[in-house]
This record gives sequence, structure tokens and C-alpha cells, in this order.
Amino acid sequence: MRQFACLAAAILLWSLSALAFANVPIGTVIENVSLPALAGGEQSLLSDTNVSVFVFIQPGQEHSNQALVQIIACAKEMTNQPVHWCAIISDRISPAAVAAEVQTIGLTMPVLIDKGDALYGKFGVVLHPVVGITDQNRRLVAYQPFAKVNYAAFIRAQIRHALKEITDDELAEILNPPAAVLGGEASVAHRYLRLAEKQFQTTNYVHALANLQKSLDQNPTADAYTLRARILAAQGNCPAAITDFEAALKLDPQNAAALAGIKACNEKAK
Amino acid sequence: MSQPATILDADSQTRLKRISIYLTLLLLAFGYPAAAAAEKDSVPPVPKMRKNDLTPLPDALKPVSAHSPYQDGDCSLCHQNKDRNDPGPITKPVNELCLDCHDDFAKVMARKSSHVPARVNCVSCHNPHNSMQPKLLVVESESLCLSCHTAISNLVTNAKVKHDALSMGAKCVNCHNPHAANVEHLLTRLPYDLCVGCHGKDGVKDHDGKVLTNMKTLLAENSHQHGPVADKDCSACHLPHGGDNFRLLTKEYPPQFYSPYDPKLYALCFDCHEESMVKDPKTTTLTKFRNGDQNLHYVHVNKDERGRTCRACHEVHASQHNHQIRDAVPYGHTGYMLKINFTQTANGGTCARTCHVTRSYTNSATALEPKPAEAEPPKSP
Repeated sequence: MRQFACLAAAILLWSLSALAFANVPIGTVIENVSLPALAGGEQSLLSDTNVSVFVFIQPGQEHSNQALVQIIACAKEMTNQPVHWCAIISDRISPAAVAAEVQTIGLTMPVLIDKGDALYGKFGVVLHPVVGITDQNRRLVAYQPFAKVNYAAFIRAQIRHALKEITDDELAEILNPPAAVLGGEASVAHRYLRLAEKQFQTTNYVHALANLQKSLDQNPTADAYTLRARILAAQGNCPAAITDFEAALKLDPQNAAALAGIKACNEKAK
Repeated sequence: MSQPATILDADSQTRLKRISIYLTLLLLAFGYPAAAAAEKDSVPPVPKMRKNDLTPLPDALKPVSAHSPYQDGDCSLCHQNKDRNDPGPITKPVNELCLDCHDDFAKVMARKSSHVPARVNCVSCHNPHNSMQPKLLVVESESLCLSCHTAISNLVTNAKVKHDALSMGAKCVNCHNPHAANVEHLLTRLPYDLCVGCHGKDGVKDHDGKVLTNMKTLLAENSHQHGPVADKDCSACHLPHGGDNFRLLTKEYPPQFYSPYDPKLYALCFDCHEESMVKDPKTTTLTKFRNGDQNLHYVHVNKDERGRTCRACHEVHASQHNHQIRDAVPYGHTGYMLKINFTQTANGGTCARTCHVTRSYTNSATALEPKPAEAEPPKSP
């Protein structure tokens, strides 16, 4: 199962890398540059020592705005982490319009202006929004275009992976989450077992045995056999109880309750 | 058992009464209209909890599902009294009581995304005694979901294009886990993995009976996939609950081969792709489909009359070529496929004679000399 998950993750990561910025594949060390900032002055695209997250956006565009809301939340959550954040816009967009959008959305990270779309062209960016993540050595480690579902979870996980806070397997599980299927026979059997336990406590042996049978029919476990044996023993039927204790031990040879139950029944017989 | 079952213990009921009195006084003090307006203006992030009649069914009815403790007459497993006619209040807050036996739900509810009613009040959806519905549901499952999720209900009712997933099989539960899931919106899997459950089979038809593509086969045979497809995000372009556009697309996308250029028609594509890619006649950065700085996307798409739409050259899901370039386009009304004959080169590409005479392009600063006049394009493929 774990091998399958790793394989699935590898395929997913491969597909993401195949999708990376058209001109910059995953693994490329990116040259750091300074760009004019919307707020004035110049700012670096990347950190030379920390993980960097840069996002190409087009304020006003629906997906960019939806993405920014989630990226802002991620950045807020990771305030204390050594992560360098910035957004990049084309200089084709009016700075006044961008400033208004940025304020409306509540974007506080530096917004860098890509003059003449130099960076767009260098990276081969054809989508909005798109997030790039580099590690402490400015190596591009992840690329994340917008997704309608689990977007923030994907970005957060990739940053945490770049920070070495989560393993490859943990990243794979977030990028390709396990299915959340409904109950199934094992969980129904478990509920009958829990109900039988309660009925045993209130000495309602008849119903407890009936519910245990339903549990055993669906999922014969050591716990279910042990409980039935304890009820049978409580009813004074030690031979039948021992049969069930032994059935429990076949499934779980170290089952303490079954071992103790057999011992108690044998002592009673003496 | 004539008494309706209560889901609150005595203390909680007293507390609830006090809260109701305080709320009434507050409303009187600040004015009900203001409170009503506030409710109207704010969209509740979480649908309201349902209030259900949790009384057991009359003996004359044969329930479809029954809760074992109730069926066994073990009222005191949940209530203070053993007496079926006077069970009294329950002994613990309702969800604590449920999790006593349904303790496997602790693990379920620890998933990334959980349903508020499941976290707070199991009896929002389940009758703890018996029901005429499976799984002790208080009403039929679709009605149950839509009774709170009214926006989805309106969308489903009014959508011009319907999605049969909502009315077939387990309906909402085809895609959502009503308790908790590892994917947002309580989806049981990532969108693509859910969609191919149906759209990965041969012969699946849409609401109007048209046979749909087997996406699993298509993607297995075509390794160059559109970004959202590779990212398993079908919902980037399709509305799963119903919509007004062809194929449940979120926004407009021209279904035909030729169309006068109008950015509105490409609203779907421009949600992610840069509009300037087809708006700017000259570029050296926006696309590699350019001859020198002559933007060939602009040349093909941005025309007053016979502009080629995206689908003229690109497959939307996947193809065997970079950028999902198509092998061929449907030509005429007989289903004949006209080969595009595109070849990518190290620094450009070539389209051999089909739509027009063979033409090549290069991204280098010194572009190729223009070839003789473009041949007449084919009539409405």
C-alpha cells in the first residue's frame, strides 16, 4: 500500500515537474534578481538562504484573486517560518489598479513589477496564478498552478516539504489524499461489538450474544470471540466459553483477556 | 413509546431556555428589523442545523432501518430510564453518546475536512430510533442535504445543463462523505479520481443521451495533459452540480472551429491563461508560438470573422503532442479528420500543408522570411 502511495506520488510529482514553468524545469537553480516593488524601491525575487515562494498573479482575474486569499492565509499561518514571500505582476497592468486590488484583498507581501515581462518570458509563464517554490539553495522544488480543490493544502505541504518539516511520504499523502469511503462491514461489526459490551455491562446477555453474533458474522475478531466467551462464562457455560477463548487466541495468540479467561474457567472446573 | 425523544439533557434544556429569553430581550432592545437585515446580508458560512422530530415510528409502520439499542428495547443505554413509555432525557450530550459505540468515528472525524452537523449533532441527519430511510436518515438523503444546502438546491433546479451524478446511485454521497474527508468540500477523493468513477467507462451518456469520452482511456493514450487534468482538478473547468454552459463548463468556451474574436467567448480559458497571448500582435515573452516577435496566436485567433478558436489546434484534455496540439480536426459534416501535421522543432515548429500551405516559424530574433500567400482555409470543418 505504501509502495503504491509512493508510486502514485512519484507519478504526480513527475506530472507536476513536466508542467513546470515552460523554460525552468524542477531542480533548476534560479538566479536571484531585484525587481521594482509596487510599494517603491527594489526587492529580491528570492532569498539566498531561506525557502522562497513567488506567485505570478493578475489582480482582478477570478482565479488569481481566489488563490491570493488562500496564499495570504498560508503566509499568515507561516509568519514565524523562514519563508520569503513575494507576488509578481506584469508591468502591462496599471500600478494604480494593482494597488487597489492588493489593498482590497489584503495582500501584504511585496508585489514586484516585471518590466517588459522579462521574468514571464524567462520562466515561460503562461498561466495565472502560478506559484513557484525554491529551497535554501534557490533550487526550484515545486510548481503549483491554481486548483479549485485543496489548493492551500497543496501549497502549504510543498512549503513544509521544502522546509524539511514533512517527509516525501507525508507530502505524497497530502498531494494525493487517501479516499474517505464510508464505514463498510468492519466498522458495522465493531459497532455491534461495542453495543454488546454495553449490554454485557447491564447483564442483558441475550441481546449482547445476539449482537455479538452479528459482529462475528461480518468480521470475526479476537475481541468479539473474547467478549462472547466472557458472556458465556458469566452464564456458567465454561466449555463453550473456552471454545471461544481458544478461537480468540488463534487470531491473537497474546490476547490477555482470552488467556485469563481460560485460566479462570479451568480453575472453576477444579 | 408515546413520548417524543429529546436530544438534550435537563440542564441543557434549562440553559437553552435561558439563552432564548436573553436573545428575545436583546432583539427587543436593539430592534428585530436590524437583526433580520443582518441575517439577510450575511451568507451563513455553515448551513443551519436541522431540527427533526426524532420520535420513533408508529408500531404499524415497518422501518427500513432501526437502531439496535432501540430495537432491543435497551432505552437506558442512551436515556435515563429503561421504560419505553418514559425514557427521560439522554444521559450525555448526543454526540458523546453516539461515539460511545460508534467510536470508529473519532478517526473519521479527525480527517482534514469535517461536516459541522456530524461534529456537533448526529441527530441533525439521523434518527436514533428508527426510520423509513436507510442508515436511520431522517429523510431521503438528497432532500436531507439540499434542505440545508439551498444554494446547491437552486443550482440543481435551475441549471440548463444537468449532471446525472446528482440523481443517480447514492446521489450526493456519490462524491461527498457526509461525515468527514481528506479533500475539501467533503469530497471522498480528488475531483479527477471521483469523475473517472463514471467518466472512465465506455458508453457513459450525458443527460441528453450523448455518449461521452472515456477519460481514463483518453488520458492513458495521450500523455500530454492539460494542467488541471494533470492536477486532477476537473472542477477548474467543469461545474459538478450543474450549470448553464455546454458540458457543464464554468464559463463560456466556443464549441465551434471558427469564431470572430471576442474575449468574452474565451472567459473559461482566460481564467488561467494570459489574455495578452491572443491580444498582442507582437511579443517575445508571452508565447513560443511566434515567428520572431510576430505572435501567431494573435494571427490565428484574433480575427473579426474566421478566427480559429482554441479547439482548432488544441485538445482540451490531452493529446500526444506538447501543448495538447491536436493530431487532426473534424472537417466537413462526414466526420473526416483533417490532419494538422504539426511538428515541433528546437526553436519553433512547422505545420505541413492542410489548413494552409506548409509554414514554419522560429522564436529566434531573426524570423523566417514569410512564405507565399496563405492558402484558402477549409470551409467550416
